[in-house]
Amino acid sequence: MAVCQELSFNVDHGYLEGLVRGMKAGILTQTDYHNLSQCDTLEDMKLHLQSTDYGKLLSSSEEDLTVSLVDSKLKEILVTEFSCLRTNALPPLSTFLDYITYSYMIDNVVMLITGALKHRDVAELLPRCHPLGAFDQMAAVGIARTPSELYSAILVDTPLAQFFQDAVSESNLDEMEAEILRNKLYKAYLESFHSFCKNLGGATKDIMCPVLEFEADRRAFIITVNSFGTDLSGADRSTLYPSCGKLYPEGLQLLAKAEDHEQVKAVANCYPDFKVIFEDPESGSDCKTLEDRFFEQEVKMNTLAFLQQFHFGVFYSYIKLKEQESRNIIWIAECVTQRQKSKIHNYIPIFKGTN
Amino acid sequence: MCSLLRGEEMCLAQLFLQSGSAYDCISELGELGLVEFRDLNPSVNAFQRKYVNEIKKCEEMERILGYLLREIKKADISLPERDVNPVAPLPKHVMTIMEQLQRLEVELGEVTRNKEKLQKNLLELTEYTHMLRITRNFVQRTAEREPLQVQYEEFPFLEKDTVMDYSSMQRLGAKLGFISGLIHRVKIEAFERMLWRVCKGYTILSYAEIDEYLEDPDTGEPTKSVVFLISYWGDQIGQKVKKICDCYHCHLYPYPSSNEERNDVVEGLRTRIQDLHTVLHRTEDYLRQVLIKASESVYTWVVQVKKMKAIYYILNLCSFDVTNKCLIAEVWCPINDIPMLRRALEEGSRKSGATVPSFVNRIPTTDTPPTLIRTNKFTSGFQNIVDAYGVGTYREVNPAPFTIITFPFLFAVMFGDLGHGIIMAVFAFWMVLYENDRKLKNTRNEIWNTFFEGRYIILMMGLFSIYTGLIYNDCFSKSLNIFGSGWSVKAMYKDINDIRENRVLMLDPNVTGVFRGPYPLGIDPIWNLATNRLTFLNSYKMKMSVILGVIHMSFGVVLSTYNHLYFRKKYNLYLVFLPELLFLLCLFGYLVFMIFYKWLFFSAKNSRQAPSILIHFINMFLMQGDAVQPLYPGQTGLQVFLVVIAVFSVPVLLLGKPIYLYWLHNGSHHLRMYRGYERVRRNSEEEVYLMRAHDMEEGNSHSDLSSSGEHHTEEFDFADEFLHQAIHTIEFCLGCISNTASYLRLWALSLAHAQLSEVLWAMVMRIGLRMDTTLGVFFLVPVFGLFAVLTVSILLVMEGLSAFLHALRLHWVEFQNKFYSGTGVKFSPFSFSLLPSSFENDGLL
Repeated sequence: MAVCQELSFNVDHGYLEGLVRGMKAGILTQTDYHNLSQCDTLEDMKLHLQSTDYGKLLSSSEEDLTVSLVDSKLKEILVTEFSCLRTNALPPLSTFLDYITYSYMIDNVVMLITGALKHRDVAELLPRCHPLGAFDQMAAVGIARTPSELYSAILVDTPLAQFFQDAVSESNLDEMEAEILRNKLYKAYLESFHSFCKNLGGATKDIMCPVLEFEADRRAFIITVNSFGTDLSGADRSTLYPSCGKLYPEGLQLLAKAEDHEQVKAVANCYPDFKVIFEDPESGSDCKTLEDRFFEQEVKMNTLAFLQQFHFGVFYSYIKLKEQESRNIIWIAECVTQRQKSKIHNYIPIFKGTN
Repeated sequence: MCSLLRGEEMCLAQLFLQSGSAYDCISELGELGLVEFRDLNPSVNAFQRKYVNEIKKCEEMERILGYLLREIKKADISLPERDVNPVAPLPKHVMTIMEQLQRLEVELGEVTRNKEKLQKNLLELTEYTHMLRITRNFVQRTAEREPLQVQYEEFPFLEKDTVMDYSSMQRLGAKLGFISGLIHRVKIEAFERMLWRVCKGYTILSYAEIDEYLEDPDTGEPTKSVVFLISYWGDQIGQKVKKICDCYHCHLYPYPSSNEERNDVVEGLRTRIQDLHTVLHRTEDYLRQVLIKASESVYTWVVQVKKMKAIYYILNLCSFDVTNKCLIAEVWCPINDIPMLRRALEEGSRKSGATVPSFVNRIPTTDTPPTLIRTNKFTSGFQNIVDAYGVGTYREVNPAPFTIITFPFLFAVMFGDLGHGIIMAVFAFWMVLYENDRKLKNTRNEIWNTFFEGRYIILMMGLFSIYTGLIYNDCFSKSLNIFGSGWSVKAMYKDINDIRENRVLMLDPNVTGVFRGPYPLGIDPIWNLATNRLTFLNSYKMKMSVILGVIHMSFGVVLSTYNHLYFRKKYNLYLVFLPELLFLLCLFGYLVFMIFYKWLFFSAKNSRQAPSILIHFINMFLMQGDAVQPLYPGQTGLQVFLVVIAVFSVPVLLLGKPIYLYWLHNGSHHLRMYRGYERVRRNSEEEVYLMRAHDMEEGNSHSDLSSSGEHHTEEFDFADEFLHQAIHTIEFCLGCISNTASYLRLWALSLAHAQLSEVLWAMVMRIGLRMDTTLGVFFLVPVFGLFAVLTVSILLVMEGLSAFLHALRLHWVEFQNKFYSGTGVKFSPFSFSLLPSSFENDGLL
């Protein structure tokens, strides 16, 4: 890596960084959310979204407006933007962008496996996959019966193959095994992504590593909390924890020993970042789920990425923020269609200061 | 003229539109483009307004129109973009348009769907025939090989004992199966690999590429495909193979088991393909007819829908009155146009047949109205130059009318060349002559449009350049000797040998007969030959720049009086305008005076004693005139007087206005103090009376102001006012010096232009002219070509742009900051003609 990356950054990646910063300006503001949450029907939302960067996204469709249609349209626009970035990217940015898609691939693979276990038709499952994580061999995932078969027959050609080193086993795939597979893949993925960013160095390292560390820690917490009540032992659990986070190694050891929610909270108390998240919900006005709190924290970290220039973190952050925005719009749309006006304000605003 | 100088007088008016006739009235107003509407429900969301449903309907129609336009474009039918201007459709006619559009959409949708289905069918059939044709080759090849027993050579563990294994497989009930189909060429490798991995080699894959490109039904792009044939053992593997085929989006077709069957299928396919071709052809013909019919009226519909949508947007800005029977709109309208507005409303009511007329009502307001300056095609270019700096504050003096003359003049001072001026003027004149040509007008080329929009500016610049070129006596860097030079060499050197032997001759005007009087127009052509030409011209052009600059700036300061008087701020006249003018004139006006004095009072005879103005000017500031000879008696005294005046005008400018305003604001408080004062010292009664009278006067003028604006309760903040005035003072005083220096760019650019054209002549044309053989004639042609190209590209375009830029700066910075604040809002009337007119801008395409 060059000593002064800032000097040569714009040669290869300047255009795309400019592009992504321009796209970032189109992220919905507080006023937009305020207006959206006042809507009474999806038609109203469509009318309002027309005045934002989404423009004529929804108006060109002839079918009836449903939440799932909105969802697929939002995904479509995200994929269009991403593929525009990806096709114009040069290495190492192209590798970086590929890494972003791997997480969606993992989710897709696991979803297809669980779908196949329930004997669902592949044609029915495919539209539900996230389009960012689409790959050619996707439809054939259902053929595999064991993780090793999955690896050697289908996924060996995909970029996911590199994450399979720990995950290969001969045990039959069931739902639990699929979930474990997902976590193992994620662990390998996060660690690999983390070391990739670390090798890139410079501002990319400074920005991306904390974000990925947070992601790793979040997964560790979520795995622990979800494993209560299942037959996953503490030792099994600890093999699933990604080791690139801030919790590594002491925090992870403590988490592996945790038996209930209180103990997890005790672990979180040692870390100021997570203490806030696990604090009792009485402090806030409305009770938010743990997941939402993590999302909130993630959004906060991602918005910080835009404060610095000459790094790849903006691409990651933009995709994640856009995803959060889609989640927000879908949440509002669901609330609007189900007439649950009281819960409509539970979305997670992005860029609060920019109204 | 008054309108151009100050802008149109505006008023706020309320329109009471009967709900029945509101639509027609707004439509009428839109055609005329008279008024600017104000939003009366700013707090209401876009989707909660009254006419949202109508707008949604318009959008639906736009969507259908966009679909139609796309289809028409796809079918390559030209759109008749005529100059028709249909009025907005009546609300009752909208339904018919809507119905027509929907019918068209359904019809088109059906036909295209049919067409696509047919095309897909056709594609499948062609694919099938290709597959059959190519797989036959596979089978024939394998059939040839069969006797040689090498069929399963690739199979590692069948190799040992093929026959036995084959029979044992058969005994197990496993059947040899075939799957054949087509796959994209790019995917075949991955496909083969996965097939191998999943089926562990229990399959044979043979494939061959199709020579032609087949159209992909999804993307419509021609792609290369590969025909493959998989032979496998057993149903289990067959299932897997099928899944993999699905995964790679292969198109599978049944594989005929025997040769006869194959021939039958091929025959059947051939006839079906022929049938399909005819049907497809008919469908396409029909589709084209439908589209041609639609394309005739689609332009009218687009315009109508656009107008309708605009009208509903405007109606959404209006509020309802209590009885809900009429709409109230608030508009900004030029006072002169109110009769036209009334007539338009009457017309609208008449058209809709409303019994109650709609009417206008002027309402008083304190808001600052938007600025409207009416322009014609000549003045609009100059107005744009001013507006690019800032739209004038309401009723402020508009610099545009003065810019019409000063801008081309200052440009020409920098661009002074007769020849270049003529070329420029001719080019601009050509544009002016053909300005109604549609080809010139409607071009999409932005650079060309810029020039075309400024054709009158360019024309003026060209004409003025001709004038300054005559004054400078410069025509492509050569001088014209029209009237005969006033200088004579004969009187100076009578001996012919003197002329032969000396390379340089000096002409002394003091010798009688050498200088016979000034050249009638501009600079004497003999200067073109002189070696000290540059020195002479530099001195002349530098002084000229300073003179022009000081005059231009003083004019700007004088113009500010119009603003002070118009806005009834008389105190500004004494406290701002007067010190500013004194400061400028006492220092730089005096400089100009000295330049003229030197020109007038020193001639060739006593030129040796001519003083340096610069030294005198510096001494004036240092107040020590003893060292040098004074220009005229009493110079030192006058200079000290002028400097003192200039210095004293600075504190007046700095403190005068804030203190006066402070005093004015606390006037009543002060008056009470006078009374207390009065009790103590009765003899100053008269003085206090005067003060009160003055107060009354100010109060009157103040109340005048407040009558035009209902409540004028702006908080007076002394610190704020003082700070503003301090900034203004510093800016003005320092600006006077730097702006005067800035006008020297006139000299610098004119020098650069003259030198550049001279260099071009010397380096290009002169070389060509030096060859005096017959060959030289042919040589001169390309040389002249080069000269012409360089003249146009460098001297006219590049130098012209740079001179334009500098003239622009002199106007914006040096001239306009003396009086022009430019903080207004432009009047943007609701007018259909301002809607984007071409299809591409709509977002429909």
